[in-house]
Amino acid sequence: MTDARQPLLKVRDLKVTFGKGSHAVSAVAGVSFDVYEGETLGLVGESGCGKSTTGKALMRIVEPSSGSIELDGADLAGLKKGGRQLRNIRTRMQMIFQDPISSLNPRRRVKDIVAEPLDCWKTVTGHDRDVLVSDLLSKVGIDPAVYGNRYARQFSGGQCQRISIARSLAMRPKLLICDEMVSALDVSVQAQILNLLEDLKAEYGLTLLFIAHDLAVVKNVSDRVAVMYLGKICEIGPADALYEAPAHPYTKFLLGAALEADPDSPMNAQVLEGEPPSPMNPPSGCRFRTRCPNATEKCASEEPQPQEVAPGHQVSCHYPLSITRK
Amino acid sequence: MLELEEMALVERPEKKKPLGPLFWLCVGWIALNIFGAIFANVLPLQNPLYQNYSAINVGPSLHHIFGTDDIGRDIFSRIVYGSRVSIAVGFGSMVIGFGIGAPLGMLAAYRRGRFDTILTTFMYILLAFPAIIATIAVLSFWTPRSVFKIILVIGLASVPLVYRVIRTATLSVATKDYVIAAKVQGAKDRRILMKELLPNIAPIGISFLLIGIATVIALEGTLAFLGLSVTTPTPSWGNMINESRTVLQQNPWLAIFPSLALCLFLLSLNFIGDRLRSHFDVTEVKL
Amino acid sequence: MTDVSEKLLIVEDLSTTFATAGGPLPAVANISFDLGRNETIGIVGESGSGKTVLSRTIMGLQPRTNVSVTGSVLLDGNEMVGASEDFKRRLWGTEVAMVFQDPMTSLNPVMRIGKQIDEALRVRLGMSKQDAKARAIELLELVGIPSPVQRYKAYPGQLSGGMRQRVVIAIALACSPKLLMADEPTTGLDVTIQAQILNLLDELKERLHMSVVLVTHDLGVVATRTSRIVVMYAGRIVEIGATRDVFANHRMPYTRALLESSPKVSNASHTRLITIPGRPPNLLKLTQGCSFAPRCSYATDKCHQERPELQAADQPGHSFACWNPLPTTRGDSAT
Repeated sequence: MTDARQPLLKVRDLKVTFGKGSHAVSAVAGVSFDVYEGETLGLVGESGCGKSTTGKALMRIVEPSSGSIELDGADLAGLKKGGRQLRNIRTRMQMIFQDPISSLNPRRRVKDIVAEPLDCWKTVTGHDRDVLVSDLLSKVGIDPAVYGNRYARQFSGGQCQRISIARSLAMRPKLLICDEMVSALDVSVQAQILNLLEDLKAEYGLTLLFIAHDLAVVKNVSDRVAVMYLGKICEIGPADALYEAPAHPYTKFLLGAALEADPDSPMNAQVLEGEPPSPMNPPSGCRFRTRCPNATEKCASEEPQPQEVAPGHQVSCHYPLSITRK
Repeated sequence: MLELEEMALVERPEKKKPLGPLFWLCVGWIALNIFGAIFANVLPLQNPLYQNYSAINVGPSLHHIFGTDDIGRDIFSRIVYGSRVSIAVGFGSMVIGFGIGAPLGMLAAYRRGRFDTILTTFMYILLAFPAIIATIAVLSFWTPRSVFKIILVIGLASVPLVYRVIRTATLSVATKDYVIAAKVQGAKDRRILMKELLPNIAPIGISFLLIGIATVIALEGTLAFLGLSVTTPTPSWGNMINESRTVLQQNPWLAIFPSLALCLFLLSLNFIGDRLRSHFDVTEVKL
Repeated sequence: MTDVSEKLLIVEDLSTTFATAGGPLPAVANISFDLGRNETIGIVGESGSGKTVLSRTIMGLQPRTNVSVTGSVLLDGNEMVGASEDFKRRLWGTEVAMVFQDPMTSLNPVMRIGKQIDEALRVRLGMSKQDAKARAIELLELVGIPSPVQRYKAYPGQLSGGMRQRVVIAIALACSPKLLMADEPTTGLDVTIQAQILNLLDELKERLHMSVVLVTHDLGVVATRTSRIVVMYAGRIVEIGATRDVFANHRMPYTRALLESSPKVSNASHTRLITIPGRPPNLLKLTQGCSFAPRCSYATDKCHQERPELQAADQPGHSFACWNPLPTTRGDSAT
């Protein structure tokens, strides 16, 4: 099903290491995945698992230490930092940040913020620029006539996130990386932004990499989901299949801990004990083995490689949970 | 205060406190002083160097509204002319200090890396020397002294201070998401510095600039008091106070009026700087 | 159970108004509810709903100036509104204790965690140094901190977020309070850690026979952990009742909107979420009508002009404030 489509973004063995020598922390320890054109890939995991760092490394906001990133066949990881080629990629790949308020310059007018990419690239100028900016603002539900001249600091979190979205779409990128874009928002505002994102995705033909810690949010927007633990992807597969029948024990615990707004939902029958180990000193073999109830000696000595348990559903575990659909 | 945070989330209004009449009074006072300094030649003032031996140590009168000094010069006229030195030194040396310190500070904080490390270490070594003693030492050897030399020496001495303030201010802004966002949009470094960083540092810069000018003017007064500023008979507020020492008993006016001029000017500058700082909500950086 | 003396906390017509530059800001208005012994009640609302101000007002923790509190908070027979600082200080810790949202700011970063627990024990309960240390280690063990003897000497910075929150809970429990106010105790924690902390709170409540007020924005947190919930909007209670009733038979459109706009794990991919247009009102510019009316699809002229009072629903203890309530979905009363 997904095979027919071309991967827009191809990530292979991406690694990001902070610090040097004995203080080195490998925040991302070899991550490989594809994002197909037109789909939404959800990247989910707990804090410190490296999901945000992965997103930033793709944008080259942090420097990957090794691995390859291919966007539409062109390698990004090898491009010179601050070079012209890397800058050119910015028109095709954009990012939305977690903190809506700090991602907008408080001392600039909303119109100018949205026009920033246009002014950088000088693709659209003069009257056309103003028309395009007004159009973008209306698309995200901000009335340009009323709010266009206001300063960013006068807006609420939800409105700031709308403005961020408008800005990121100005150059009509193909890929949009959303880093925890709704986690700072209230439930009712969060729903508005998620719906808006889905609408714009269809209208602009976007491909999304949606990074979040909230399993329910990820499920609602994603076609496929990748689960990260301590710098590695432990499971990746179609969203519905993965949530219904997780093959990795960690995914199962993660889903079990997610709280449903339903008094009849089972009350966390199984709670994952302990806390993730430090990425400075990750366990040998499988990174989850220290908390995994099924771990054996093999898990300590041998690192599990991704194996396919169903079409498009891969898991990195020596003892994947049996996939029997209910 | 969590309550206030919660309120702020409901709506983030434009909370601008009015600057108040005192602020504008101070601005007016500074403007009047600068106007006097620039147009002293044109204004109907008496010659500040003319020695009227028939009116020595006269108190305030209609003819000499601030009185005359011990060799019969008009004090009011000397104060207006004297403000030229004070104001020129204050603004001039800050132009040099900011001209060099501010761009370096911004660049260092934005680029980070080795450039920042080397420059910052160098500046901190300079800061370790007491600036006033260095200024005094240089000025006492570099004769004859002129306004230009004083401006140059104080200006250069202030570079590390300006550098430190601007660098710290930039650091707090440069890590904000909107700077990263601008980079991601494809903005070039110069554009980021001018459009994203500068507007956010400017309020801190302006308040520091005003307070810096005030400090330098006071410093010039100190130097003049020590006889290290412009040479007499050119009047400056500092050397007028210095000269008044010997005749303090006979003619206190000679000390009171220049001191008052200096005080009011500094007070106004400091007040404007402080007001602007709270107006722009500058709290991140200690000046 | 319904006997008045059985109630640990009785809040009546409580209002907290801040004096601001823009005029009086009614952060909490006319709140009444009660809480039985060994009961957990959830207070749910979005930011600006007044839930945090409410919990602090109940504690008597409002700032000294620019605030006026009216109404009554009866905590185990002690009136908190208008009480002196001294009087309240005697109740803090022994009657009521609080767990804050951010464990990093509620712990002193330069003090060993053991000392921070000791302090309460020695000052409040007059324990000797050795007794206090023994009790502190006991408390650390109680809240599930591994190797408590070693951790006794740790600084907050050396612990993870989840462990710090456990320490905060240990401090709150030091003087065996009867009521634990937990203000967003798991916000900012990872889901697996959140589950651990919520389970811990539940377990401690049973073991120590406490009552808990769980303040949160997350309906998932209160769904299975509370017996009753209070839904707040713009400083007022808009719906209150047994958790099951509020979830299944909510009558107030805001409650429904809140429930429907939160994404669910069981939803299929690309499920369209039902949203409430607009955002919470500016508390300085409240109209005389229902605060939710501007965002409500059921609103009529009456809603804009007249504020609805709480009225009883079919189930006992369940009431809502709405002129045009949603029809009951289930006829049977769940309790």
